[in-house]
Amino acid sequence: MIAMSTRHILLGLLAGGPSHGYDLKRRHDERFPQARPLAYGQVYTTLQRLVRDGLAEIDGTDSDGGPERTLYRSTDEGAKELLGWTGEITPPAPFVTNEIFAKVVCTILASADPADYLASQRTAHMARMRELTAVKTAPGTDLATVLSADYALNHLDADLRWMTTTAARLGTLTAEVHTA
Amino acid sequence: MTGDLALAWLLARGSDRREWWRVLLTALGAALATALGFAAAAVASVEGQVSTPYFHGLLNQPGQRAGVVVTLLLLWVPVLGFLGQCARIGAVHRDRRLAGLRLAGATARQVRRIAALEAGLACLLGAAVAASFSALLLLSVLRQPLPAAAWGGFALVAVSVPLLAVLVSVLALRRVVASPLGRVLRVRPAHSRVAALAVVVPAALVGLAALLIVTRSTGPGQTAFPLLVFSAVALTGAGAVGAAGVTARFLGGRLAARAGNPSMLLAAERLRADPWATARTNAAVLLVAVVGVGFTGVREMFLDVVHHPRQGVPYSPDDVAFYTTGIDLAGAAVLVALLISLAGLAVGTAESLATRRRGLAAQAAAGVPRKVLGRALLLETALPLAPAMLLAGLGGTAIHLVYGRIVDAAIVPVLVPLLVPVAVYAACLLAAATSLPLLSRSVRPAELRFA
Amino acid sequence: MRSTERTVPVLTAEGLTKTHGRTEALRGASVELRAGEILAVSGASGSGKSTLLHCLAGITRPDGGSVVYAGQRLDTLPEKRLSELRRTEFGVLFQFGQLIPELTALDNVALPLMLAGISRGAAHVRAYEWLERFGVRGQSELRPGEMSGGQAQRVALARALVTEPKVVFADEPTGALDSLASEDVMTALTHTVREAGTAVLLITHDAQVAAYADREVELRDGTVLVPSDAQAMEVVR
Repeated sequence: MIAMSTRHILLGLLAGGPSHGYDLKRRHDERFPQARPLAYGQVYTTLQRLVRDGLAEIDGTDSDGGPERTLYRSTDEGAKELLGWTGEITPPAPFVTNEIFAKVVCTILASADPADYLASQRTAHMARMRELTAVKTAPGTDLATVLSADYALNHLDADLRWMTTTAARLGTLTAEVHTA
Repeated sequence: MTGDLALAWLLARGSDRREWWRVLLTALGAALATALGFAAAAVASVEGQVSTPYFHGLLNQPGQRAGVVVTLLLLWVPVLGFLGQCARIGAVHRDRRLAGLRLAGATARQVRRIAALEAGLACLLGAAVAASFSALLLLSVLRQPLPAAAWGGFALVAVSVPLLAVLVSVLALRRVVASPLGRVLRVRPAHSRVAALAVVVPAALVGLAALLIVTRSTGPGQTAFPLLVFSAVALTGAGAVGAAGVTARFLGGRLAARAGNPSMLLAAERLRADPWATARTNAAVLLVAVVGVGFTGVREMFLDVVHHPRQGVPYSPDDVAFYTTGIDLAGAAVLVALLISLAGLAVGTAESLATRRRGLAAQAAAGVPRKVLGRALLLETALPLAPAMLLAGLGGTAIHLVYGRIVDAAIVPVLVPLLVPVAVYAACLLAAATSLPLLSRSVRPAELRFA
Repeated sequence: MRSTERTVPVLTAEGLTKTHGRTEALRGASVELRAGEILAVSGASGSGKSTLLHCLAGITRPDGGSVVYAGQRLDTLPEKRLSELRRTEFGVLFQFGQLIPELTALDNVALPLMLAGISRGAAHVRAYEWLERFGVRGQSELRPGEMSGGQAQRVALARALVTEPKVVFADEPTGALDSLASEDVMTALTHTVREAGTAVLLITHDAQVAAYADREVELRDGTVLVPSDAQAMEVVR
């Protein structure tokens, strides 16, 4: 995904008001549960780049009783950049990079049977789906968590469907790979 | 038209077992109607005073022959009721098929025509079979060539039965707007309009008959009297359907609110949901019950007079035999009518089971005992029939009481005629019970597999 | 505590065979349902899933093999006892069809209790509680045809659970629902059975529905494939 970047997400978080680095990381992990957590270092370097490009600026410092922390806020340029990014459509699956498919083809090239691999991949997918379902249905779960779990569940489900149809057509695929 | 006919034939051939039942039973009904019509035509074709060896000379006089003809034609009423029940067999399937036709590009009118032709084909089959057998039977019994009028009557009956079936089907299907998207919408007009029509038309006919009788001032004539009887029967039938429907709805609502046991609850709620289905199923039986009660009373008084004439000399044995045979033949006609209407009831019950088999199978799977389902099925027939049968008993009693007053009978029987509704009621329950084996088959888990 | 409990089998089937006409629906299927677990049975359509459920729930008799529930052989039990068992100890949930169209939601849910000899009034009180629990109390006077698919299925769920069964058999319970309604029904089902420790046999071809289960077995050509489940789960965790 070309346009998905930490800078835009940080700009989005800054749109809510001035914030410092640690707070931004915490809010990111809260808003986007089940996503890969942001590293603090990454937040810091990204903020510096935003300032360099004129999209954000330093709002001052606050200590709040603890160590001194730099507050950042979004500039008008930054707000414009954010609007541009959110309005731009996300290209629907521009590159089909599919590790599972690659493994199936390579297994066939190595003259092994990919069915076993697909079966255990399926089991692993199911186990992950059970985990996500458990997270999503636990009492008191917030909607953000439910929605992000749903996103992952739907993708895993799509993988599973693809694996089921592929498993049923392995014979033809094997013949095709060997003749090509 | 030939295209439609070909399609109707193809569809009939490809239809499933249940639809074949419809075709078979419809053909049977048509055969019955044809046979009755042939007999009536044969009797009606005889002219003047003749001497026949049958039924102690009952067919010898024109007046009595007219009575026989009317009786035979009256038997069409339960037969038509039976045909009506048959038309409902597999109706869900047929409707789905018609929707498929609409999706394939047929117009609504075409679809209706095809469905009507299907019914017509079935009736043609029944009529053709019955026509050949009846004609052969009549020829062999009479051992003499039939007059041309009889042949004309035969032809008329043989053609009109299937034609009538097509017309009735068109009429019945006129509100089935099979939408191409598979959903069959049955546009329900306000019941009041249909009910009004069912009452107004026979009432008008009664008026017409009465008018004819009055203007000709010759007593009940050849056309007016059958018309009067027919219309009176139709009027009573409409009344019976209405009464049965209203009581079914009332009883259903009342009992559903109070029912303490599951069978009663199921039966009552089904009555409440579709009281008219019950009414249609029971109407013919009720009609026959009214006639039966009245007839039994009249018969007793009549035979009493025949055997013990109050004044003058006793009847000769020949005359006694003549009258007894006459009244017994009429009794046989009532019995036949009862049997036909009971068959209609059995078919109706079976069809209601067959349409619900998936739901019933689900109930059985959930552990609802078969006994509860069976009891609900019987209650569904028994509940609305009880008050209706009471009314029928009263109506029939009124008839024979009036007759008793007119002929100034020495004894007015009450007990025996009142036993008739009880017997008919029991027979109805038996007819409904013939569906119980079908219930056991319906609740098989295999039925769960199909939507 | 839960995990030790979950190793005790409540329902065991061994080598089930069943033929419908010419098709062999089951050819030696064996499966074990453990106490308090939700077991998903997946498989392509026509793999014999529904037949397996019917055999396990005592709805149909297998041609061969055995089904043991609470120490008794279901495959040889007389129909009357089976019917009673299904009514009192089992709950069934189908894709649709288990609600009686003429009865209100309330009466539909109360019916199993009435069959058990409880008065209609008392049955209604309990039925209300279950309708409330599944968020369809407002629909209690409606008939199945007057509700949305999701509402009807929640009423059906209430009907299946109102007798507090030991085992629930669910055959594609969300097959006719959209994904949101399906989620509602599955969440309601799993929460209730987990609380009560009810075992569930869940037939589905939908992986997202199967993911509500604790364990999954796959049916293929009438036999149960047991995947190297535990092993794969270790890998992920």
